[in-house]
Amino acid sequence: MRRASPLLVALGLVAAVVVPYLALGGASFEPTPTADPCATRDWRDPGGVGEALEQIALSSLDGAACKLGVTREELVLAVRSEDALERFAREQGISRDDAEQAVRDGMLRAVDDAEEAGVLSERVASLARRVVQAVPPWLVLQTLESLEFLLPG
Amino acid sequence: MSRLRPALLGLAVGLALADSSIVTLALPDVLGAFDVGITTVAWVLTSFNLVLALGAVPAAYLARRRPREAFAAGVVVFAGASLACGLAPSFDVLVGARCVQAAGAALLVCAALDLLSETLGSDERALGVWVTAGVVGAALGPAAGGVSTRLVGWESIFLVQVPVALALLLALRGLLARRVPEPAGRPHLTANLALLLVSGGLVAALFLVVLLLVDGWGMAPAAAGLVVTVMPAAAIVVARVRPRSLGGMTGVASGVILVAGGLAALGLLPRAGWAWTVPPQLLVGAGLGLALAGLTELALAGRADQVVHGGWTLAARHAGVVVGLVLLAPVLTDALEQSREEAIRAGAAEVLDSGIPPLDKLRVAQDVLDEVARANDAGELPSVERAFEGRPADGEWGSLVTALQDQLDRAITSAFSGPFLLAALLAASALVPVALLRRRRPA
Repeated sequence: MRRASPLLVALGLVAAVVVPYLALGGASFEPTPTADPCATRDWRDPGGVGEALEQIALSSLDGAACKLGVTREELVLAVRSEDALERFAREQGISRDDAEQAVRDGMLRAVDDAEEAGVLSERVASLARRVVQAVPPWLVLQTLESLEFLLPG
Repeated sequence: MSRLRPALLGLAVGLALADSSIVTLALPDVLGAFDVGITTVAWVLTSFNLVLALGAVPAAYLARRRPREAFAAGVVVFAGASLACGLAPSFDVLVGARCVQAAGAALLVCAALDLLSETLGSDERALGVWVTAGVVGAALGPAAGGVSTRLVGWESIFLVQVPVALALLLALRGLLARRVPEPAGRPHLTANLALLLVSGGLVAALFLVVLLLVDGWGMAPAAAGLVVTVMPAAAIVVARVRPRSLGGMTGVASGVILVAGGLAALGLLPRAGWAWTVPPQLLVGAGLGLALAGLTELALAGRADQVVHGGWTLAARHAGVVVGLVLLAPVLTDALEQSREEAIRAGAAEVLDSGIPPLDKLRVAQDVLDEVARANDAGELPSVERAFEGRPADGEWGSLVTALQDQLDRAITSAFSGPFLLAALLAASALVPVALLRRRRPA
């Protein structure tokens, strides 16, 4: 035992560092995992039409991401430009048209959800649906934002 | 001169062995200068250690008859090759010069062991100085190289060594060392195997800690150099004060446990920040002081011709470095790539959930991605500040920058976790040959 005690001291010193590090989360200090897009997110109480439109856009991304089996974040990175959407479609093994349609379907679903929840009036929802169907996905939010001043509060 | 001679010889050993790690932080600059890939540029590091591992024993046989002449020849070859490295017009010339530099280093380091014995009048003291100088040199190399690269350029790492090395020839003034070598006999395979495995694990402590501090967390090389002195300082203190109860195999086994445990702790950092690396470095340093000295003593004990068996331990240590580099570099590269993707997704979530104006969110996400792509092409880690240039620094914007930096720190720290834990396993595997040694000769 006398001969083994330096070994125990060494093990004790190692434990004195490793155990607290583990207790402080050392085994899980990594980037925050992204949320499941198929799970329902809470609607934040929108302060105006602009914020409501933003939540619609984000909710639409959740819907489209869920349908495609990717995360909302991967999809938002894909719809920032036409090239990005083409690259995304290639990586997912789907056609660019299918990817674009999935995004549009998600946006339309979100508009329906927002109208049903009373966040958007029938008039605003109708305008939002026309924009979604007519404008490329990466320009939808910009277009809706620019139309905000035309809309009632 | 006789008082200065041990210091000069120790400095020569430290300088030569610092070159095993001194280019670590200069690799991105070398990559840019010669337009080569990340895997290719690693040869600047690997080639030196490989030639040193292969050349140490032949160099020892050359040095043992005429250690004074061998030391002088080693210094001249080392200095000449260092000059060639600093002036290299192409990557192939640089790698070739590094190989010649390593051959010179092998000769001068092996010869220095014999000259130290002559000077100090004691093989044991000579071995202590020789091992310590090598450990300190290798541990301080990356930070010294990083400072030099930032201040002047990567070429200065090599050019500065030329006059310093030549000045060390002063150590030979008035020294007559000509000996009749004894038959060297077989090397101590088990002790050298344990040295190889511990050295393989130590690659993480020597290289990865500095990479994490400077390239990962953005610390200045000079400051990082101060932080990493913890390890050799702990090694020196422990090597000097170790009691009798820590001699022999018990001390070696305790040292291996401390090295492996310290490396494991580096793989389990709970936060980003240099202070979190200090306790693990103390463990690794203390373990180094026990294990390296103990195993080297064992490898030489009872064996004639210290120079040749010292050469075997030098070969084992640097073969271990090569094994560590070959195993850990691709693991780190893959982990950084995976962490990069996770960081991009986590960063996108932070942007989307932040309170900045909605229309700015996609633009900010684009700028962050552009910065990630730029940094990837330059072989650097991305800068959040660069991506947010020209934007407000307070309120929701400031909070977003902090959140993104946190995700980046998490990604980088977690990327290094796997390699540190693998290095811990490699070092811990040295307990197998150590256990065999304990069975043969109880501590």
